[in-house]
Amino acid sequence: MSLISRNVFRALVQGSQHVGKGVHTSAVNPEKNVCLAPHSISTLQSQVSKEGRIKCTLIPGDGVGPELVYAVQEVFKAASIPVDFESFFFSEVNPTLSAPLEDVVNSISRNKICIKGILATPDFSHTGELQTLNMKLRNALDLYANVVHVKSLPNVKSRHNNVDCIIIREQTEGEYSALEHESVPGVVECLKIITAQKSERIAKFAFDYAVKMGRKKVTAVHKANIMKLGDGLFLRSCEGMAKLYPRIQFEKMIVDNCTMQMVANPNQFDVMVTPNLYGNIVDNLASGLVGGAGVVAGASYSAECAVFEQGARHIFSGAVGKNIANPTAMLLCSANLLSHVNLHAYSKMIKNAINKVFQDGKIRTKDLGGQCTTKDFTNAVIHFLDHEV
Amino acid sequence: MAARLIRKITPAARSGTAQYSSGVRRVTLIPGHGIGPEITVAVQKIFEAAKVPIEWDEVDVTAVRGPDGKFGIPQKAIDSVNANKIGLKGPLMTPVGKGYRSLNLALRKEFDLYANVRPCKSLDGIKTLYDNVDVVTIRENTEGEYSGIEHEIVDGVVQSIKLITEEASKRVAEFAFEFARDNKRKKVTAVHKANIMRMSDGLFLRCCRDLATKYPDIKFEERYLDTVCLNMVQDPAKFDVLVMPNLYGDIMSDMCSGLVGGLGLTPSGNIGKNGALFESVHGTAPAIAGQDKANPTALLLSGVMMLRYMKLLDHANKIEAACFAVLKEGRVLTEDLGGNSTCTAYTEEIIKNLC
Amino acid sequence: MAVRLFSKLKALPSVPATYASAAAAPATLSDFDLQHKTPVIRKQKLIPVAQYGGRHAVSMLPGGGIGPECMGYVRDIFKYIGAPVDFEVVDIDPTIDNDDDVQYAITTIKRNGVGLKGNIETKSEAAYVTSRNVALRNELDMYAYVMNCKSFPGVQTRHKDIDVVIIRQNTEGEYAMLEHESVHGVIESMKVVTASNSERVARFAFEFARRNGRKKVTTVHKANIMKISDGLFLETSRRLAKEYPEIEHNDMIIDNCCMQLVAKPHQFDVMLMTNLYGSIVSNVVCGLIGGAGLLSGRNYGDHYAVFEPGTRNTGTAIAGKNIANPIAMINASIDMLEHLGHHFHADMIRRAVDKTVNVDRIVTPDVGGTASSTDVVQSIMGNIGLDH
Repeated sequence: MSLISRNVFRALVQGSQHVGKGVHTSAVNPEKNVCLAPHSISTLQSQVSKEGRIKCTLIPGDGVGPELVYAVQEVFKAASIPVDFESFFFSEVNPTLSAPLEDVVNSISRNKICIKGILATPDFSHTGELQTLNMKLRNALDLYANVVHVKSLPNVKSRHNNVDCIIIREQTEGEYSALEHESVPGVVECLKIITAQKSERIAKFAFDYAVKMGRKKVTAVHKANIMKLGDGLFLRSCEGMAKLYPRIQFEKMIVDNCTMQMVANPNQFDVMVTPNLYGNIVDNLASGLVGGAGVVAGASYSAECAVFEQGARHIFSGAVGKNIANPTAMLLCSANLLSHVNLHAYSKMIKNAINKVFQDGKIRTKDLGGQCTTKDFTNAVIHFLDHEV
Repeated sequence: MAARLIRKITPAARSGTAQYSSGVRRVTLIPGHGIGPEITVAVQKIFEAAKVPIEWDEVDVTAVRGPDGKFGIPQKAIDSVNANKIGLKGPLMTPVGKGYRSLNLALRKEFDLYANVRPCKSLDGIKTLYDNVDVVTIRENTEGEYSGIEHEIVDGVVQSIKLITEEASKRVAEFAFEFARDNKRKKVTAVHKANIMRMSDGLFLRCCRDLATKYPDIKFEERYLDTVCLNMVQDPAKFDVLVMPNLYGDIMSDMCSGLVGGLGLTPSGNIGKNGALFESVHGTAPAIAGQDKANPTALLLSGVMMLRYMKLLDHANKIEAACFAVLKEGRVLTEDLGGNSTCTAYTEEIIKNLC
Repeated sequence: MAVRLFSKLKALPSVPATYASAAAAPATLSDFDLQHKTPVIRKQKLIPVAQYGGRHAVSMLPGGGIGPECMGYVRDIFKYIGAPVDFEVVDIDPTIDNDDDVQYAITTIKRNGVGLKGNIETKSEAAYVTSRNVALRNELDMYAYVMNCKSFPGVQTRHKDIDVVIIRQNTEGEYAMLEHESVHGVIESMKVVTASNSERVARFAFEFARRNGRKKVTTVHKANIMKISDGLFLETSRRLAKEYPEIEHNDMIIDNCCMQLVAKPHQFDVMLMTNLYGSIVSNVVCGLIGGAGLLSGRNYGDHYAVFEPGTRNTGTAIAGKNIANPIAMINASIDMLEHLGHHFHADMIRRAVDKTVNVDRIVTPDVGGTASSTDVVQSIMGNIGLDH
């Protein structure tokens, strides 16, 4: 029992640490209730060095990650994009070579942006730790919101057409709290923590994102019919937040029904907001609808930083070294990164090039039914880069 | 609190299925609410025409106030299932409001139905985007995320406990392998998220691995939940039998139904140590109740599953073939499948095809 | 009504914020009405801040007159320098007789925490439609208004090197909007001063002075005539002055203050005043410095901040003629970037504005130049001098 309480306390502390500062008290000194006239939070200035070049942390990751990251670097080089990479080898399966977590975290908090391959998460850890490296990174940077934009690609054959939905997932609590213990041998308890603060935060993120992207509808995915308290709290937070957005339609859907609707009729979805685990499921499901893990880009946001990574995270270890992985997702990530740091022209350039490659239809990697290599695809994208844009 | 739960799990014992080889068997029939009665009648007619040696024992499970003041299943229904060990059930409606436990949950608890089986198979004549689906999802039904242990620790912080026990995991894993062997399936896939929930899902996974060694004739593989989702919608043919904890099973089984045309076409069975309950998992559809428009396919196929469970294979195959033939022909279909026939006409058509 | 209000105020001396309005009641009470009719503690639910991946979401209310064009310039500049801000534009139709748009605008500011606004017209003269600017301030409880008045060397004026900060109580006083005709031909208009609001704004002023290295705070009042109301305001600021011994404090009567301002403006540093006097003094100082088109103002509350051009004029007459002075709105956007913590981008624009106005002297006709609005903006962008 004491173990439970200790763990729960840890989760609470985790929960409150980051959220407390992220509430609208921006203009106020809590002690004196007085406005601090010119106050400071932080800036994005550190991204930009004197020569106007931008620094970006790079984590190649495991599996095919390094190959995909290399494709991105090739394209950046070819387009002469003013971005410098600060590369870290970061891996859980290879702990001896891995850069320490603090270094990576420091680099990302300094650069504010990061592009990241996929980190493999083994089923067990060598040290008996319950938290995976991915979780640690997310918690350290408070990357609470994961955004995956699933969109059908032109000229890619799949069963569903015109899928276009945004899936927003809370990724710092819920089932991923890493609070587990074996109370009696053969009986394991796994705690799922849902807090009002984090639920509200992700709900607000989802609505703000919908506003920003000009979307019409937000769907909250839950299982509150069974987990009445936990998912109920999440749902209530979403409902409360929805009141602040009278011009956006709000809907709720039970997760099992949601997956069923998704495979049958994915066009009904617009923006979806989900707790941790359901988000993981819906992300992957939706990615599968439009062509798989190789073509869907995603990003994780904290208040300060943005980490761009693939939408569906699979290390695809079977393809390592074979030069067959599809770099589309990673290239789309890099384009999103460029638009995040206001290099819209370059971002457009890469996106147009990718679209042209798909429309052209000759160059396809294996996952989309082609025979081409990663290298071929990357070269094709470089070939279609239009410097005039 | 965990101890409270384990006490209920007594050593796994599969209900004796082998004894049902001859003679007339009594089966509890729960027509349910809404369209329930209509579709049960349809199923009864078809079974009768197929000369299935079954005697129906019809009971009503509309909630009654029990001695504890809570609404629950009538004792008569419980006795009936306990005596017959086997049941077929239409959709149930749980009234909204406090004091009502979900009747589905109550039944599940009452008979300790630990495994939920849902075969999802593409049907000829039903147009969906997927045409090669043939998967069976087997879901642990008693613990996991649905343990119902939740508390609000401080204001705004809720903790839900997901409970995984070795007993229950082994029980469901064993069932999955047995099922695969009985139904001539090739492969069992354990669906888990042990990379994140290392202990709980790790335990489930270990149990599956243990059991896999006892069934060398069946291929065993383990997959992450997210990978399964991704691959399932891309190429469902990769999967055969899936075994998983409660929540994942809930999600995956509905998703697979979506692949083959919805809950109106997928049968479902709950296997427990005190008996087995086969059901249609769709809703009560009160809007079309009593209008002879309902689609009895899900309940009929659940009945077919039940017959297989009772080793009445000939009857099962005959009815299934008739049903598939009607669906394939596509001439007499109910409205939800794009046809314009009544439930009665559809039933007659299936009976005509029984030969 | 007045009696009711006052009795409540007396009964609840510790009420931190009061609002009042004489709106004739429409059929149903909105939140807005409730708040204005029942001056009770406004409990603010904390809403997570809209900052994602280093980018802020900000509500943009272009308003009427020259607002939309000026906002366009701000967006051009932000886009050009890549300021990490995403605007959510909310248009308010000035001709509609209900508060739906205003309510929505208020909601967006509540969500985003920060707003940039032009002046919003209230065309309707129906008694129950309150001034939208006032509604916005009251609803968001933005009790302090700050205007930094600093001379531009490049703008020809009589007085040089003026550097005054005006801090104005923003939610009560004469703008309580409590008016009624008690007897035919006799109209009473109420001025409400509360201890709590006076203390908040006074503390804000002293705190501001301390943090910005200012030396003196001057309280402007008319306590010789309005002994109780302005007296309370004056007393409060005197009391707080004792907590800030390093800052000099004096007071001045409003009429004298106006005279002193046009004669010897350099004697002032930070000025603290009630609502109406603030309106007068800020316009006077704007005139001294070069007109309505240069200065920006900031509204602060406990939770929200809204930035706008300093003098609240819509400039309908010059709208669409490409002669409006964009500097005020650009300055407001600089203030906003500062508030959000994006000093790098704020400095970038500030330096460019400084060069355009003071060195290159490219200014619009209202401050003696010949350039068009777009010329000014082009010059600023040129002076930012990015090469991409």
